[in-house]
Amino acid sequence: MPKVKAKRTSVSLDMTAMCDVAFLLLTFFMLTAKFRPEEAVTITPPSSISETALKAKDGIITLSVAKEGGVYLATDDMMAREFMLERMANKYGIALTAEMKKNYMSSEVVGFPAGAMRQVLNLKPSEAKSKGFLKGIPIDSSNNELSYWVGYAKLSNPSLKIAIKGDQNSDYKVFSDIIGTLQAQNINIFQLITSPEKRPQ
Amino acid sequence: MAEIDSSGGGKKGGKKRSKKMSTKIDMTPMVDLGFLLITFFMLTTTLAKPVTMQLNMPDKTEDNTQTSPVKMSETVTVVPDEFKVYYYQGIPSESATVLQVTDYSETGIRKVIADMKAKIGNNFTIVMKPTKKAKYRNVIDMIDECAITNNKRYALLEIDPDTEALIKRSGK
Repeated sequence: MPKVKAKRTSVSLDMTAMCDVAFLLLTFFMLTAKFRPEEAVTITPPSSISETALKAKDGIITLSVAKEGGVYLATDDMMAREFMLERMANKYGIALTAEMKKNYMSSEVVGFPAGAMRQVLNLKPSEAKSKGFLKGIPIDSSNNELSYWVGYAKLSNPSLKIAIKGDQNSDYKVFSDIIGTLQAQNINIFQLITSPEKRPQ
Repeated sequence: MAEIDSSGGGKKGGKKRSKKMSTKIDMTPMVDLGFLLITFFMLTTTLAKPVTMQLNMPDKTEDNTQTSPVKMSETVTVVPDEFKVYYYQGIPSESATVLQVTDYSETGIRKVIADMKAKIGNNFTIVMKPTKKAKYRNVIDMIDECAITNNKRYALLEIDPDTEALIKRSGK
């Protein structure tokens, strides 16, 4: 009687298809990935049960409030960003060089008093940050530069929405000053950025 | 492949035969790397997604004739402080107004709001007047409490001297 021989199968299998799928997915995620925008300071927002995602269809201005009370402005609207700088420089009589403009556009965050504009913009954004020049935009009633920045941004793109991202341990006073500044410009709707939290029960 | 022909030219009759190479290569490391990167991009895209809550403030330029009045008996004023919450009903300058204090826990302000709402009914309105010492987190917590207890009627105001005096007077 002939012996029944178990058929010997090869252990190596064709991985081409799997590889194709893997790289297709990889390409998709790489192209859709949006990295967290760089921040002048690290901000830990408080948590809330809200589940609404931040909609940024028409452009958004993000006002960040650091723990120490510094206010930083960022916007994803490039036109508005350039417009803001030109108007601010014009207002404070600062002659912009091509390098200053380049440094300004390469950083997403604005966080310096207009008086320090020349000093800050002549440095690379990372250098200005490490030297501690990014102290925030003044919002005192005597020198409210935030209202100019936001005003010019709104002039360039009136549909810009305002999001406020405050550090959980920042003083409420700063927040209420920002709200007051913006309400004076008839901006009454704010998106408060929080980190998600589970709804109790 | 890149090989040096060291056989010399003298041999005759030797048929040159190119070595047959297998077309299959081991793709395991490539797939490994692919999936590692996929995992990385999947995690980084989904984790950093902030949520927002919308805060609507009243229009200062508009006249107030269009707004509906709120009865004093249907409102409660909460005053978030750094570690505790004060709350009272009525007018702060009157001596009959009682200031009470609670905390941010589940059994604290949330229960107070729920109880008040059950007592007062649908027109229940919450007025928030954060103290000067309050942190941003406290205000967000307070707005969040309103969302948790399903109260859509709330207002965020500046603290007034009367309320500050009331807190001072109560000594809490």
